[in-house]
Amino acid sequence: MNMPDAKRKPMISIRGLSKTYAGGAGVPALNNISIDVAAGEFLVILGPSGAGKSTLLRCINRLVDPSEGQVFHNGAEITAHRGDLRAIRRQFGMVFQQFNLVKRLSVLNNVLTGRLGYRSAWRSLLYSFPEADKRIAIECLARVNMDHKAFQRADTLSGGEQQRVAIARALAQQPMVILADEPVASLDPKIARQVLGYLRQSAQELGITVLCNLHQVDYAREFSERVVGMSRGAVVFDGPAAALTDEILHRIYYREPGEAEKEEA
Amino acid sequence: MSALAFDAAVTSTLAEASRQRGARLVRALIWAAAAIAVLWFTGAQIGMNPVALLKGMPFMADFFSRMFPPDLSHLRLLGDATLETVQIAVWGTLIAILLSIPFALLGAKNTTPHPVVFHATRMFLNALRSINELVFALIFVSAVGLGPFAGVLAIALHATGMLAKFCAEEIEGVDRGPIEAMQATGAGRLQVILFGIVPQVIPAFISYSIYRFDVSIRAATILGLVGAGGLGFSLIKTMKLFKYHETATCILVIFVIVFVSDWVCARIRARII
Amino acid sequence: MQALAERKRWRLHHIALAGVVVAFLAWCAEGVGLRPKELAGALPAIGEYFYRMAPPKWEFAEVLWKPAVETLYIALWGNVIALIIGLPLGVLAASNVTRSATLRNAAKAVLNLLRSVSELIWAVFFVAAVGLGPFPGALALGVNFGGILGRLYAEALENIDNGPVEALAATGAGRLQIIAFAMLPQALPQFVTYNLYWFEVGVRSATVLGMVGAGGIGFELVTTIRLFEWRETGVVLLLILAMVTIIDFASTWIRARIY
Repeated sequence: MNMPDAKRKPMISIRGLSKTYAGGAGVPALNNISIDVAAGEFLVILGPSGAGKSTLLRCINRLVDPSEGQVFHNGAEITAHRGDLRAIRRQFGMVFQQFNLVKRLSVLNNVLTGRLGYRSAWRSLLYSFPEADKRIAIECLARVNMDHKAFQRADTLSGGEQQRVAIARALAQQPMVILADEPVASLDPKIARQVLGYLRQSAQELGITVLCNLHQVDYAREFSERVVGMSRGAVVFDGPAAALTDEILHRIYYREPGEAEKEEA
Repeated sequence: MSALAFDAAVTSTLAEASRQRGARLVRALIWAAAAIAVLWFTGAQIGMNPVALLKGMPFMADFFSRMFPPDLSHLRLLGDATLETVQIAVWGTLIAILLSIPFALLGAKNTTPHPVVFHATRMFLNALRSINELVFALIFVSAVGLGPFAGVLAIALHATGMLAKFCAEEIEGVDRGPIEAMQATGAGRLQVILFGIVPQVIPAFISYSIYRFDVSIRAATILGLVGAGGLGFSLIKTMKLFKYHETATCILVIFVIVFVSDWVCARIRARII
Repeated sequence: MQALAERKRWRLHHIALAGVVVAFLAWCAEGVGLRPKELAGALPAIGEYFYRMAPPKWEFAEVLWKPAVETLYIALWGNVIALIIGLPLGVLAASNVTRSATLRNAAKAVLNLLRSVSELIWAVFFVAAVGLGPFPGALALGVNFGGILGRLYAEALENIDNGPVEALAATGAGRLQIIAFAMLPQALPQFVTYNLYWFEVGVRSATVLGMVGAGGIGFELVTTIRLFEWRETGVVLLLILAMVTIIDFASTWIRARIY
């Protein structure tokens, strides 16, 4: 397995991560995954749907609890952390396939929800945020070029615009890492490239590490230096985007259930 | 964008945000003031009075305490009334189902023979809906005499209004695709209704009919208050005679009926859908 | 061969079932005195009854204004009380909001209790507690509708899109913040729709509360019916019809504007 640039300290280190869902008939969604992601890297996790990409991201910010293995963030283990989950989660921005904006709230309020993790419950329940938070939110909106629509309701926006707002919400957390789960799967190609462009550019400018799930090879080649290929819950490739040969792609997309065991042996 | 222009854009949006928030706050305050004024005025008009409620607590407690323990020997006498309650609901709903089918077809825009018929039907159905079962029961009791028969008619009429309107709206909301396909094959109007519309509407209609039966059971438990049969008669009679232990038994039985019908209806609906 | 036997059995099954249903219906009909002859006799009697209402005695409307308006107020306050009772209980009863099953089931039990006792029976209680008048009427409506609305609120909360909830959890928002920013905004239009609808129902229910002395137009209705003042009864019924129709229109108008 390719190790990332050893000079850079890993931002995220995943060690032997496995997850089997209750009721999943014993088939693991993740099977002994180990990956290192360097600070500032734009990593694409490539694989067909059902490969376990979503579960992997959700194990990092603990929306899903892994069955085995560890995740280290900046050297600190976060899988075993039993205390304040909020403190962990706010360090990871997340972007979803379905955007997951609160449709009836304004764009600005949606972005401000990215600040909730830093604020106590009582004041925010009145939808009142400190001036500093508003500035952060509007700056993040400006980064994805959506500040001119700050006061519209989220459901008046197109899909691409909604996803840009969702990216702004993730940025507003001032995270060290953004986890993007199929961010462009519901968008047409032109808009998809635009949205990925905004994601990569703002991450670069702010020095944020990105783990981005994709299932389209073109985008992976276009937007990332390094690609991790997943199939049936296991990592089957880890290397530069340029090294994605047809043979490797076949392994990612068309691997039969039996082949996993053969490869391990 | 230069850093300077970026900052300027952010600052102006921020100013706009605080302006909008201020405007929203004012609007919210105006609405809140209006709501409080309306509630205050109407509350005063109907004598809403929390103090009276607090003062009434001992009376309520007294009322309840006199109901306990429920006189279970009274159950023996409630058997017939209980069955009657269910029977009223069964026939009331059944008649409503039968009546509501033609009314729904006449009162749906896409199946009505004529707009005049449509409006007349909708108006009639609205009239049926807006008059409570108990009002119908009162009228029927004085028209055809005391007893469950008046109760059946009362439930039937009110439920017809409800069911037919619901069904008419379902008919108006059917998927046009299959209907156009049938018209393209040269099917007649009646055939289109029978094979294009009815199958699409049936599941919702059945589901709503079952829900209506559940509602009718509840309604049937109080029809007796005006002499239209069922448990309500025992309820009001025992209360007027201050036999609160027996009243409690009546309420207990009503509970059981409502729960059982709720449970059974939910089960049937879940199986059908 | 086997398929044929199967089908035959299936048909027998259905015939038997139909027989049972018919027998049950006949038994019910007998129990409630529903016979063709009675029905034939009843329809003319009812027709005659309504015929006697014409022409309505319009002067009577003057007496009715006050109780009619009172009916609306009772419905309004019934709804407000229902909201106050139903909202917290509904939130507690929603499975995606309340994690504790004990708390959830307790809330559901209370809602069921409030729901299954008719508003008229509640009215009798409250009249006993606070005296005659519209106040106990509003309380009775509020308690019964609180039970109904609470359950509907809970269902509306359970049916929201879980995506934004997950997204907010991922930002590190706390439980209360998730409820306030992701759950309530999504369920709110449903809440308003239910409240408007039950306001309509409330007006219809409030028209009978007067029968047990709990205010509203029901008292006049009962009195005119009992005294066989058909033409006055006609006016009351028309007034109720007009009120409910207007409210129906108004709530459709409002509903169209909240989404």
